[in-house]
Amino acid sequence: MATTRFSPFELLLLKSRNQTDTAALLLLTWVAASKGSLSETDRHRIAAMSASMRHGHDCQAIIDIGARQDLDAIQLAAEVLQKDRWGAQASPFLRQAIEVAVTEGTLAAATNHILRFLADLLGTAPQPFAQLYREVTGKPFESPDDPSRETYWQAREHARQQQRSQSEQRQRHSQQERSHGSSRQGHERPHGDKALRALDILGLDATATRSEIKKAYRRLAQSHHPDRFFALGERDVASASMRFQKIQKAYEYLMQDARFI
Amino acid sequence: MRDLYKRLGISPAASDTEISAAIEACQHTALKAEASVVLGVKSRREEYDRLHALLCDIGRLRARLGLSHGQYWLDNAANDFSMSPDNDHSRHEALVHKVTQAVALHDTFLRWRRYAPWIVAGGFALITTATLAVGFVAG
Repeated sequence: MATTRFSPFELLLLKSRNQTDTAALLLLTWVAASKGSLSETDRHRIAAMSASMRHGHDCQAIIDIGARQDLDAIQLAAEVLQKDRWGAQASPFLRQAIEVAVTEGTLAAATNHILRFLADLLGTAPQPFAQLYREVTGKPFESPDDPSRETYWQAREHARQQQRSQSEQRQRHSQQERSHGSSRQGHERPHGDKALRALDILGLDATATRSEIKKAYRRLAQSHHPDRFFALGERDVASASMRFQKIQKAYEYLMQDARFI
Repeated sequence: MRDLYKRLGISPAASDTEISAAIEACQHTALKAEASVVLGVKSRREEYDRLHALLCDIGRLRARLGLSHGQYWLDNAANDFSMSPDNDHSRHEALVHKVTQAVALHDTFLRWRRYAPWIVAGGFALITTATLAVGFVAG
């Protein structure tokens, strides 16, 4: 008969000596798996947490089910946990969930959404939950990143570009030192220091052409224009206008430079 | 997070050409610009899709558990990913129902097993008498 066939998680739950602990373990695995794939350290951490629980069955089996992110199993676990751990008894479980969620101090957007769901599930209000989060991690509980916004991707690419330009700068420094070491007669470099810095601001290297400079300037000027940051407050507008001026000055300097005509 | 697929009126499984057509046809300029920035680039779309699938799951879970008005479910995510509540999807009740059915089935089996020797003996006797009777008539 089809209706009497049990799913693997249902079987585990029926065999368990403590159903609440089984459900809690599954939800902890769900939290850990939402960071991407379930790493070995996460498996060990959850296994260590399960040592203090009284479920009385193999915890690897439940970790495997949780790693598959089966929605029906998660719903069943959530129902069991909501029934048994609602309200005041929620904080030990939430503490464990936060410990599992945070690796190296960062919280992924997906994991953040799951933590919010668990807090709502167990009837913990935002303020006590944020306090608990701060106790466990030492950082404020922030709202999740929003990849449906253009600003999210801009911020990411900006960070990446900064990293790249930093490493380029380091390379250039080492090159300069090498050239200084080999020929101290003072050969003129293709571009002066100031031009190089200006190119750096536009995210370009020494081989850039005039049209590339123009293109880069238009793109950066658009994305850093202070008017775009009007809604975010005065501070953002001020920092954006500083960046914008820097970009503009770099562009003007390069445009009057004879080498780029 | 906003559900760009819903706002553009396409399914999350839409192909790149369908998406670009929907973006072309979109009347809302701000949405148009953002959708092309996020969904137009393959790597960005993949990352967006992962979070989108999770939020759909959470929206469904919240609907089934009666948490559609939770305090942490208020902004864009709540607007775009909430579903109408369906309380007839309780997994725990389903499990209890399944266990009851299994127990009932087991009980019936036990009851029949108690009578099993008598039924087998009765059947055997019936067959023997029938054969004897047929033999009598024929012989």
